[in-house]
Amino acid sequence: MATTSHPRSADWVGQSIKRKEDARLVRGKGKFVDDIKMLGMLHIVFVRSPYAHANIIGVDTSEAEKLPGVVCTLTGQEITKLIDPFFEIGPAPSNRILDYPMAVDRVRYQGEPVAAVIAESPAIAEDSAELVRVDYEPLEAVIDGEIAATDQTLLHPQMGTNIVWNGVYEYGDINQAFAEAAHTIHIDHLHMHRFSSTPLENNAVIAQWDDSDERLYFWSNNSFPTIGIQLLAPALHLRMDQVRVQTHDIGGSFGIKITNYPQMAVCALASRKANGAPIKWSETRSEHMTSSAHGNERTFRDTRVALDKNGVILAVDSRHIDDCGAYPRYEPLGCVIWSQVTPATYRLKNLRIDFTQVVTNKCPVGPNRGYSRLQHLWFLERVLDICARELNIPADEMRLRNYIRPEEFPYTTPNGCVYDSGNYPGMLKLAKELIGWERWRAERTKAQQESRWFGIGIGTTLDSGTNNFGQSQIVNPQAPFSGNSQAASAKLDIYGEVIVAVGSVPQGQGHETTVSQVVADILNIPPEMVNVRVGFDTERNVHTGHSGTYASQFAVSGLSAVNGAGRLLKAEMSKLAAFALQASEDELEFGVGKQGPEIRVRGTEKAIPYIGLANLANVNTAVVPEELRPLTLNCRYTWRAPFRVPDVEKKYGNLTLTYSSQLHIAVIEIDKETYIPKILDYAAVDDCGTVINPMIVEGQVHGATAHGIGAALMENCAYDENGNMLTATFSDYTPITAVNIPNVKYGNIETPSPHSYSGAKGMGEGGGAPLHAISAALQDALWKEGIIIDDSHNNASTLYETIRKKRRGELKQNVQVAKRGS
Amino acid sequence: MAINFSGEFTTPRNQDEVFEFLSDPNKFAPLLPDFQSMSMQDATHFTVKVKVGVGNIRGSAEIKMELSEAVKPQRAQYKGQGSAVGSQVTVSAGFDLLPTPDGTRVAWQGETGVFGKLASMAGGMLEPLGRKNIQKLIEGLQKALSEPLAIAGGAPPQNAAPVEAPAVSPANREVPPEVASPAHTESQPQPPGPSTGDDSSPKGETNVAQDVSPGSARY
Repeated sequence: MATTSHPRSADWVGQSIKRKEDARLVRGKGKFVDDIKMLGMLHIVFVRSPYAHANIIGVDTSEAEKLPGVVCTLTGQEITKLIDPFFEIGPAPSNRILDYPMAVDRVRYQGEPVAAVIAESPAIAEDSAELVRVDYEPLEAVIDGEIAATDQTLLHPQMGTNIVWNGVYEYGDINQAFAEAAHTIHIDHLHMHRFSSTPLENNAVIAQWDDSDERLYFWSNNSFPTIGIQLLAPALHLRMDQVRVQTHDIGGSFGIKITNYPQMAVCALASRKANGAPIKWSETRSEHMTSSAHGNERTFRDTRVALDKNGVILAVDSRHIDDCGAYPRYEPLGCVIWSQVTPATYRLKNLRIDFTQVVTNKCPVGPNRGYSRLQHLWFLERVLDICARELNIPADEMRLRNYIRPEEFPYTTPNGCVYDSGNYPGMLKLAKELIGWERWRAERTKAQQESRWFGIGIGTTLDSGTNNFGQSQIVNPQAPFSGNSQAASAKLDIYGEVIVAVGSVPQGQGHETTVSQVVADILNIPPEMVNVRVGFDTERNVHTGHSGTYASQFAVSGLSAVNGAGRLLKAEMSKLAAFALQASEDELEFGVGKQGPEIRVRGTEKAIPYIGLANLANVNTAVVPEELRPLTLNCRYTWRAPFRVPDVEKKYGNLTLTYSSQLHIAVIEIDKETYIPKILDYAAVDDCGTVINPMIVEGQVHGATAHGIGAALMENCAYDENGNMLTATFSDYTPITAVNIPNVKYGNIETPSPHSYSGAKGMGEGGGAPLHAISAALQDALWKEGIIIDDSHNNASTLYETIRKKRRGELKQNVQVAKRGS
Repeated sequence: MAINFSGEFTTPRNQDEVFEFLSDPNKFAPLLPDFQSMSMQDATHFTVKVKVGVGNIRGSAEIKMELSEAVKPQRAQYKGQGSAVGSQVTVSAGFDLLPTPDGTRVAWQGETGVFGKLASMAGGMLEPLGRKNIQKLIEGLQKALSEPLAIAGGAPPQNAAPVEAPAVSPANREVPPEVASPAHTESQPQPPGPSTGDDSSPKGETNVAQDVSPGSARY
């Protein structure tokens, strides 16, 4: 019998095989939460606050309850008797916040739920929600983070302050660095604006309380359900095991669906009140824009930079104010997560950041793509570019003088993080080649001679992945989290099919495909013979407390777990096959025969197909000798990252396992008639170590690039002074579309990580490289106008206003060279 | 989102007559734009129902009003709060009356606050809509007060004073309009102002009359 009839590659990992998921997704066969219909299902609609800040005087649901088809209502006051406030991650005083899933006696952001109506159809629920009468007493809204920090108006009076967290991160010797500096530059303020993600699928959940088994069932698109359950179960007075969460296809999360657990809680309470009927909540786009989650807004104040005579940055001293919106929810983790990338890509040794996080009357933030790191990375890129221009050093040269060098990896940062691998000069070289650097430099010279606003910008960034949850103890020493882990299972089912499940919650990242590539290599079979369970299910028992999909980690944590489970399965199969074939394990080889996947004795026609092995393990067990009966061909593996708990006092330790890097170059011209910034050319180079599937990686680079360009030039969660969100629709928020995305010249280099089994590094968030590159390009274009790009959001209107103010002398000087050496 | 407005006009009626009109909710309230109905709770408290609509967002607003200040015959002040299509609306409007040789000069000022869906989804359209509705209210007031009491119901007197341009100064003028500004799409809305960068865009108070010309009725 021929035993290798099926052609295969030596390594499936590294190939751009087509995504398994796409076969169903592009044919409309995906199963999203809103596709699920259940007998007796009811629909919930939230009554939301029009005010950003107001006392609730009364809620009257009586008229709504009279509408035919309305089953019941819930109010904030009512649910205080049914649920406890959610656990707060932060220490005192922020742990005094009473975070219920609906407002009880005060609303704190526009769009906060104050009541809910449960009805037989979404339309009836929507109509009846308009009949709920809520009396408010408006309060002054606190919209600005810096004003919030003055505590003039408190959002949570029991907290006694609006400051959620404050801490100073100090490394090296700042004072000595400034004393020895050739140049010192002061930057008064920089501001990272508030933007979010616009997943194709909004938040959605179905909850059903089953009185017969006293369990709560969720079908959800929450992207970190294991932390969701840890928050939900105690609040609902349930044991963890009473809560089952399933996900299936998810139309994007980008991190912000981690924080939809409050709505999950209300649906659960509604199901209980509606005698166990399944309750569906399907968020509208406007709800999503106003009240799901936004990214963190951050202001950088009083920045001092010390540089040596060559422009090498010796020290940075700055004060950062982070605005987390009305409730901390996943915060204050952002107060430490930025420090995963403390020196960015540079050999910065001395650094002091006074970091403060405040609550404001705006939508709560969630861990939006690039969470907390991209804000800090944008800040340091702006610092670098501003200093380069002040010292008349070209932006590329400035970077080369400051980059961590390839030979310095693994590189330990001043706060103890270990950058695993990288080659930033190599990325810059490749990006220049891709974009045609010299040609654009010549065009820039010509354009500037013609007084055109033409600029070239470089953005280097990091995508730190597989985080050490021990960093949570830096913001709260009592936090019960540390390390990182993931679980997976691999089995031969009764008919010999390979089934793999993992605790991730894919939202479009192609996990089914990459998992099958890894297992295919282990078993020497093609990926289509590996069946990967879709979505997440607590009942599969392949998750840990860290399981989920977030923080650019699947290639490391997820695939490490899959690799472990696959190898355990292979070992068991080998033992059982050796018995069945009466050969030694050393003589066996895995492959595909005419009857499908099999194990054979090398050089012979003796083979056993997978179905034969599965039969021995599952059905024909009496023939198996006693010593082999523990073999189940159903193997679970838990991968644990090799972390230690950081030194909480010194704020020192390894906070992340891998560091992907990205380098983008943008060429931009601002139209002098319309002020519209137009991208003329764009290059993106990615290094995520060993690439599992190049097509998927390139796709994610394109996605992150689009997201960043949109944020840099179009998307802004704008509020008026009363806390009305002014960009609550796509018409106003103007999310980026395919029409607005330039042709991205993509390149990649591979510096394999020594910290993962495969050399892969987590990727996908992208580190906000387009924000850095575009701010730099706009800066380059407007430098001669005397304008500093100090905000991460720049569209035609803001550029017009900035230039107008500059010409009127209304622009406050933002940068001062305090000391200029020779 | 707050819209401030002010202006003045003259009426041939005397100060007492004007005060009596303006301080009587039964006479004043029906002049509100898109008035539907009203109910009086007492002499100074009443609820009016008016139609509201901006684009596709349409519904009724029920506003609880109060004649909060009545200093005969110099001043009448109303304030109110209500809800409409998932939004809250606050209104305050004051009238200061000065006798003139020909009748009474009415100086009026007020503020409308809009919170919620209307402000979020139609924020950019609210300012001109507010202007239009204020203009309607003042025109109605002026019409009702345009004749001496003795000849009310007859043809308007030839010497009736024209409506003076009410001034509107939206408090949020500094918030930049969120026009689409894609990276490289030429067909997107233009930023405000001339291409030279010189500022010729309107600043400060705006003449309402300019915004209610026939071609500007967009809502």
